[in-house]
Amino acid sequence: MELTAQAIFTGLLMGGFYGLVAVGLALVFGTMKVINLAHGELVLLAAYIAYAVESQTGINPLLAMPIAMAVVIAASLITFYLTNKIKKDRELNSLILTFGLGIVLTNGLLMVFSADIYSTQSAWFMEGLVIADSLFSMRSEMLAFVVGLCALGGLYWWLNHTWHGRAIRSVSSNRDAAKLMGMNPTKAELWSWAIAGVLAALAGVMLYVTSVIHPPIGHSLTIKAFIITVLAGMGSIPGVLVGALMIGVIEGLTTTFFQSSLSELASMTVFLLVLLVMPSGLFGKKAGH
Amino acid sequence: MLKVENLSVNFGGVRALQDVSFEVQTHEVLGLVGPNGAGKTTSFNVLSGTVRPTAGSVTYEGHDILKSSMHQRVTFGIGRTFQIPQPMHELSVRENLIVAQRFGRPDGKVKQERIDEILESVNLLHKAEADAATELALTERKALEVAKALATEPTLLMLDEVLAGLETTSKKLFMQTLKNIREKYSLSMIVIEHDIETIMNMCDRVVVFNFGKVIADGDPEETFRNPEVVRSYTGEVPA
Amino acid sequence: MNIKISALMLGVMYLGVPFFLGDNDYLIGLVASALIIAGVAVAWALLGNLGGMVSFGHAAFFGVGAYTSAVLTMDYGVPVFVALVVGGVGASLSSIFMMPALRLRGPYFALAILAYAEIFKILATEATGLTGGAGGLLSIPSLPVFAGVDFGTKLGGYIVILNIVTLMLITYYFIRRSSYGLALKAMHDSELATRIVGVPATYLKVVMLLVSAFMTGAVGAFNAHYINFLEPDYAFSGTWTVFPIVAAIFGGYRTLSGPVLGALFIYLVDQLVFKNLIPQGHQLILGVMLAGMIILSPSGLLPVITNLFTRKKADNKRGEAQHA
Repeated sequence: MELTAQAIFTGLLMGGFYGLVAVGLALVFGTMKVINLAHGELVLLAAYIAYAVESQTGINPLLAMPIAMAVVIAASLITFYLTNKIKKDRELNSLILTFGLGIVLTNGLLMVFSADIYSTQSAWFMEGLVIADSLFSMRSEMLAFVVGLCALGGLYWWLNHTWHGRAIRSVSSNRDAAKLMGMNPTKAELWSWAIAGVLAALAGVMLYVTSVIHPPIGHSLTIKAFIITVLAGMGSIPGVLVGALMIGVIEGLTTTFFQSSLSELASMTVFLLVLLVMPSGLFGKKAGH
Repeated sequence: MLKVENLSVNFGGVRALQDVSFEVQTHEVLGLVGPNGAGKTTSFNVLSGTVRPTAGSVTYEGHDILKSSMHQRVTFGIGRTFQIPQPMHELSVRENLIVAQRFGRPDGKVKQERIDEILESVNLLHKAEADAATELALTERKALEVAKALATEPTLLMLDEVLAGLETTSKKLFMQTLKNIREKYSLSMIVIEHDIETIMNMCDRVVVFNFGKVIADGDPEETFRNPEVVRSYTGEVPA
Repeated sequence: MNIKISALMLGVMYLGVPFFLGDNDYLIGLVASALIIAGVAVAWALLGNLGGMVSFGHAAFFGVGAYTSAVLTMDYGVPVFVALVVGGVGASLSSIFMMPALRLRGPYFALAILAYAEIFKILATEATGLTGGAGGLLSIPSLPVFAGVDFGTKLGGYIVILNIVTLMLITYYFIRRSSYGLALKAMHDSELATRIVGVPATYLKVVMLLVSAFMTGAVGAFNAHYINFLEPDYAFSGTWTVFPIVAAIFGGYRTLSGPVLGALFIYLVDQLVFKNLIPQGHQLILGVMLAGMIILSPSGLLPVITNLFTRKKADNKRGEAQHA
């Protein structure tokens, strides 16, 4: 029982972080119907920036956030710019394009930082926290969870209560209608890529302080992010949260009761089942075409 | 040969067909008439397999076709055209017919003489090598639509407004072509047309649709004298 | 045009390459490795061009083919050349698990296949009894001596993979010309029109997936006997997906010889030039090429080159071109 509770607790914390990783991809997918297969690599890029700042200056890696954001937003906007250059069959060709950009980023990181594994040197993040007398986590895991929840909540609020946010929502629900109402869809798309960059940077720095990083991780993060996005259905933020927590808990339970190498298998299987049985996702409306 | 019984179709709350029944006899030409949205094309869609009905049954020469896939129905001998022509893209006119012969005939054999004969009969032989999607005029696209269906060697041919949009001369010519085809291949037909003159000219019997229901079924001349039918045509809502 | 290029290419591969490089094991080995990529690239392009499906999961077929053949020859004494074919069959069988994904539209199919490939990789690592697990399989039998020729040498292996790729191209050519090919071509933009004349669309896609998986599996099997070693991370590596995609897109995935020429060019340039310039992360160039091609010329380089070539002759060749 205690083991199960701990597994679920760890899974939920993990899920909060996964939500942070996935939500940027979901946002872009929602506005532009483009699945950015380089999204995980953008997250990893931020993580490496945090590593670089920490190892060069010795300051807390969280302070690397402004630089990470600047770089990752720039990278995200470049991806947007390139995606926009595709004229024919954008839905599929953008998949191949961003797949290629992912290869560029992974190998770029490999080139600069080698294939070595890095993690934060700051012991503060590793210290244990005990919640409700029995549930254990590292400080960093709790931090990533809280940051994830705040980011998702903040984004949800922003999409519903600000002018730019509403523009993004109306473009994603009906591009032509939004155009008729005087909105510039390209501007809304630009905003969504920029925000996706901010979210990827947050996720990357959290990744660095909670876990270890090496180049192939970017690809796994991308896969996790699109799994969650598909589970959630068309760009639904609450859907992303529930999907991410679900994947987190499934992985937590598999790791505890079987082995960690099977956790990915479990989440992948759930993904395929949902995709095949409910192609519009757990929380999605029926796709409109 | 075709028996439609108690067919109903719902589209998210809208009842497109309600309890529709009709039959087609061998070598008969049946006209489906009625205002737009009355359920004629929906009936075609159910018969050809693009729409799944909520209730009812359809048998064709002993086959319970609602259980069959779209392509199986073609090999049973049911061919159809679409109101908006659907040429196969990236293929020539001849290649369109080759594919239709290869997959539409139960034995999958492609007979070039048959293809030429069909093209000849719809006056498309001179355009055989033209690109089907881009190089045809409207009449030719309609002709290809019929030729494609014929190449599957149907016993029942369903024509969805193949004459609509044509000017009077080509309409007359095309109607004659259809009559010749019917004799030549001894086909049964179901025809959707708005033009009453065309219906009178071509059909042995008509079924009148209104608001998803069959409101009349019988000899064309008698049916068009039926006051309820006339009312449906002048657009009044039945009491 | 395309056929002429393919014939010329094969002529050079069969006569020129053995004649000039035959006694240089390093170079002939490189060209053979490029042909392995080419084989997968052709299989990938067949699925993409005829089936209209973009796959990010061909590594799965490659790995399944490799392990099937390796295990059969090592544990059951099956002759290597028979095992190559069975490797292809194994990959085809594994593709049956992916069939449900055929219901999904373009991008969703691509993502589902990517997930399947990951699942296969994990399963291969976990099924230690069969695959030797992460430790791998050592001393997989080489290609045998057959009709007095030792195919176990670098040159022998080159001839075998060249034959495999040639057979694949011939198969591809005949499928494309057949009524299946016509129907598949029409399905891209007018699926309803093809289905209404009796084309079993899903069945045709299934056949294309089976054929593509078979080809990829056979190439994977060849590779296992060519390098005599397998481990899951290698056999199911994303490389077997990435290289062929780049090669096919680069050369032109709608053409017959494009994927092969693309593979030869990309692989040789990568190994001979970029690997020396950038020891770690040289695949960066692949990513740049892939992204660049998709933006600048999504139909690949070969069509662009042939267009330049044919435009000059366009006037006197117009009649012929319509029949080609």
